[in-house]
Amino acid sequence: MIPADDARRDLSEPMISVAAVADVHMDDDVLGRFRPALDELPGKADVLLLGGDLTRHGTASEARCVATEFGRLGVPVIAVLGNHDYHCDQVPQVVEILSEVGITVLEGSSVVVDTPGGRLGVAGVKGFGGGFAGRCASEFGEPEMKAFIRTTCDISDRLAATLQELECDVRIALTHYAPVPDTLAGEPLEIYPFLGSYLLGQAIDSAATALAIHGHAHLGAERGTTPGGVRVRNVAHPVIKQAYNVFHLHVQR
Amino acid sequence: MSEIDEYAEAEIQRLLTEENRLAEQGITVHRRENFVQLSGEVASPHRRDEIVRLVREHFPHIEVQADIGVTRAQPPREAEELP
Repeated sequence: MIPADDARRDLSEPMISVAAVADVHMDDDVLGRFRPALDELPGKADVLLLGGDLTRHGTASEARCVATEFGRLGVPVIAVLGNHDYHCDQVPQVVEILSEVGITVLEGSSVVVDTPGGRLGVAGVKGFGGGFAGRCASEFGEPEMKAFIRTTCDISDRLAATLQELECDVRIALTHYAPVPDTLAGEPLEIYPFLGSYLLGQAIDSAATALAIHGHAHLGAERGTTPGGVRVRNVAHPVIKQAYNVFHLHVQR
Repeated sequence: MSEIDEYAEAEIQRLLTEENRLAEQGITVHRRENFVQLSGEVASPHRRDEIVRLVREHFPHIEVQADIGVTRAQPPREAEELP
């Protein structure tokens, strides 16, 4: 670990600096809390990633709080939504309000950002549950059960395709749900199937992904790795215990 | 106290998530000998106070003790190098 500002100057190899946080659960009682730290972003990071659960219930008024807090930061802001953001069935309004202040909301889609260190590609999906290899739900039995796992399969397939199609120097997968169990350590084992799915990890491993960012697991751990060796970071706010984490991705060309 | 059984624990856990004024999924409910302890972190002091108030209101016969923090939001002093 070295101080964020110094590292950007000292290292000669190309580097992309990525800030990330998830589960900020904005409402008017939290307005302004992140802003002093966010105002430092232009000197610290090329981009800010938001890993879902931006709001408490997914209402338009909470989305306006997100827009006020995380809009117009001087660096590109790229987000996926989380389960909380779906609660009130107002996803289109939430996305529109965030888009109005320049926040890019991904769902089975991607964006490429030109940074001084190279082209950063971010593929994003919310993701869904199902569990992890050997201890997971299957697409079998009741329609409700099949629909549950089919949802995760479809989302994971879209993530894989989006990652594979990205043309960039560095690829990041952004999800809300966890792609590996490593970053859930601290959560009760019994609820792992509601926190993520190995299918997301498999999608991430299907492309040359440099880093996978997720949230959702408030009691989880920061670091993990996919079976294919991709580094995974849980940036849920209660896990990182600061406004955002900064990652320096050293670009190999 | 007989009120603090597994069903009460489950009801408190559901209240924390499903009560619209709370919507918290990151709070752990611990059944102690004669009280219930709530632990975890929330985004504001207001949310912490609301959790305690509403759980007490719904379960007046259960002693509720809260050990809930407000997540800090200071800027990071260090970055993680990923070679």
